[in-house]
Amino acid sequence: MDAIINWYNDLMSNEIWFYLIHTLLKLVLMFAVILAFVVLSVWIERRVAGWIQDRPGPNRAGLPLFLLQRWGSKEKQPLKNWLQFFGIPETCWIARLCTWLRLDREIPCWGLIQPCLDGGKLFLKQETTPSYVRKFYFILAPMLVLGPPMVAAAVIPFASEVNTCYGHISMCVANLDIGPLWIFAISGLSVYGLTLAGWSSNSKFPFLGGLRATAQLISYEVSMGLSIIPLLMMFGTLNLQQIVQFQADNGWTLLPLWGEGLSWQRWAMMLPLGISFIIFVTCVFAEANRTPFDMAECETDLVAGYHAEYSSMKFASFFMGEYAAMVIGSAVVVTLFLGGWSIGFGADAALSAYSDWLAVLCQLCMFIVKLLAFIFFFVWVRWTLPRFRWDQVMKLGWLYFLEITVANIFLAAAVLYFIK
Amino acid sequence: MFETSLCQILFYVLAALAVLCAAGVVGYRNPVNSAMCMAVCFAMVAAIFFGMGAQFLGIVQLIVYAGAILVLFLFVVMMLDIHNESKSRGSLVHAAICLLIAGFFAGIISWVSISLPGAKDNTCPAITLCESAGELLIGDAHQVKEAPAAAPQYGGCLPELNAAAAARMENPSISDADAAKATSIPDVKLLGKCLYTHYNIPFVILGFALLSGTVGAVALARKIRKD
Repeated sequence: MDAIINWYNDLMSNEIWFYLIHTLLKLVLMFAVILAFVVLSVWIERRVAGWIQDRPGPNRAGLPLFLLQRWGSKEKQPLKNWLQFFGIPETCWIARLCTWLRLDREIPCWGLIQPCLDGGKLFLKQETTPSYVRKFYFILAPMLVLGPPMVAAAVIPFASEVNTCYGHISMCVANLDIGPLWIFAISGLSVYGLTLAGWSSNSKFPFLGGLRATAQLISYEVSMGLSIIPLLMMFGTLNLQQIVQFQADNGWTLLPLWGEGLSWQRWAMMLPLGISFIIFVTCVFAEANRTPFDMAECETDLVAGYHAEYSSMKFASFFMGEYAAMVIGSAVVVTLFLGGWSIGFGADAALSAYSDWLAVLCQLCMFIVKLLAFIFFFVWVRWTLPRFRWDQVMKLGWLYFLEITVANIFLAAAVLYFIK
Repeated sequence: MFETSLCQILFYVLAALAVLCAAGVVGYRNPVNSAMCMAVCFAMVAAIFFGMGAQFLGIVQLIVYAGAILVLFLFVVMMLDIHNESKSRGSLVHAAICLLIAGFFAGIISWVSISLPGAKDNTCPAITLCESAGELLIGDAHQVKEAPAAAPQYGGCLPELNAAAAARMENPSISDADAAKATSIPDVKLLGKCLYTHYNIPFVILGFALLSGTVGAVALARKIRKD
């Protein structure tokens, strides 16, 4: 036992091994959380859509109990045994209620199993690759859509920093000094996936869809990059961990209620920052290729857009890529505008004075809550607003957003310069 | 040193891939293949920048070249749908002209890299260049003094402070891309300071050149439509 502890101590005391181990752990955690959130956001999307359209949505699928038998359980009907255990007769109202809730057949999870079953269904579907496609790029394209959002997530901080006896851990996978730029650059690479999917399908509508997606993504990337410059002028750094720390100390970008956030300057900055927020969020919608900006897969003009020729898991990769982009987009908005992991009102400093790990745990929960709230907002917008027309999308991007963002930079500079 | 050796291995792998892809750009007959090779080549160069500690340059390389310009390339190539693969091979004169142009560019690049200070005694040319021309480059002398003097072999981990200045000397085309993204992390700060103080006038002139190009493109595109 002592040997194991000594070995562990030696291993963790080595700087490189310590770095490798904690980075790997964070990497696995991040990846798992993102994938879980992709599944979860599919479910949220369908449930919220159902709620908005006044229908139930997928609320049934639970863990079926026949799985227990498969896994070696001899008990055929857990509900009956359960009722017997408590001495409840099988004909009384509790038993009937349980049967009505399908408790005799499955463990209910509010339909949470639905996306998993959908995934399983997509795995089992027949994979058809049309004979006329350009095969290499046809196979490469879905990977290029799904991969970048996962890589872009590396710089998003999900909790603050911890000092352990072996060293300092910053709770994001890669604490780069160019956080937002990294996200823009890497998620911008998914354009290749859409373009190549459209082109390699070698058919009319996917090609048009791919071209539309490319044009839209490039157009909105410009405004997206420019719109956060007022924020960066205020933060004075591009490191996302420091940006969130700043917000934890001095008030969230959109809620400056404590620390230095109560100054005149910060409240005057609310105007340019509010404009930034609206434009940035709209650009995130456009980048995630979702309604009202889903021109690339607009059914009425383009059948299914760039993925019309795809089936089975290749289609699912596009589908998951879209949701991964949505999750990452939400995470970026939360990090830049809504305080990231910070609990707010000075609670972060108090908690970390008490215990670092407790603070990290609370902050992680806070981040996830904020993320879920923003994903809900994302879905809400999708099922509320109708789709734009193509010329409206381009006009909005180039004629309004670009000009407004440039003017906004000057406005922010003026506020920072004149109001002290 | 673990880090240095890893960086060097990575540098050689990435550089080899970049060169391979660059050869692919020229070698492939299908223009889409060429464009994709070019994208990978840009990505590899960006990764090399990252390895040198010049994160900002790497990311700008990705955003501007791989993310925007090359996608437009691909766009145009796909729209035109050129079937170059079916063409027969060019004549001898054609090959000779190609060789001449390629040789010309190769000559320029090798001449520049050989005439860099420190290139011959196997120290990193970029670092020695920075040390000799540090004041001219960065503007404050004290920042150069802070940089560690020990210069690892080319491809090793450059000290972060010098990395930006060094890499900029290798890639002067960075100026226009940097315009929108001037903020204040160390290498970004250095770049911005240098760009907006020492090279301010060339920078503004470049900006006007780009603007006139944009206006010209709009004018040309407008002319086609008669309605």
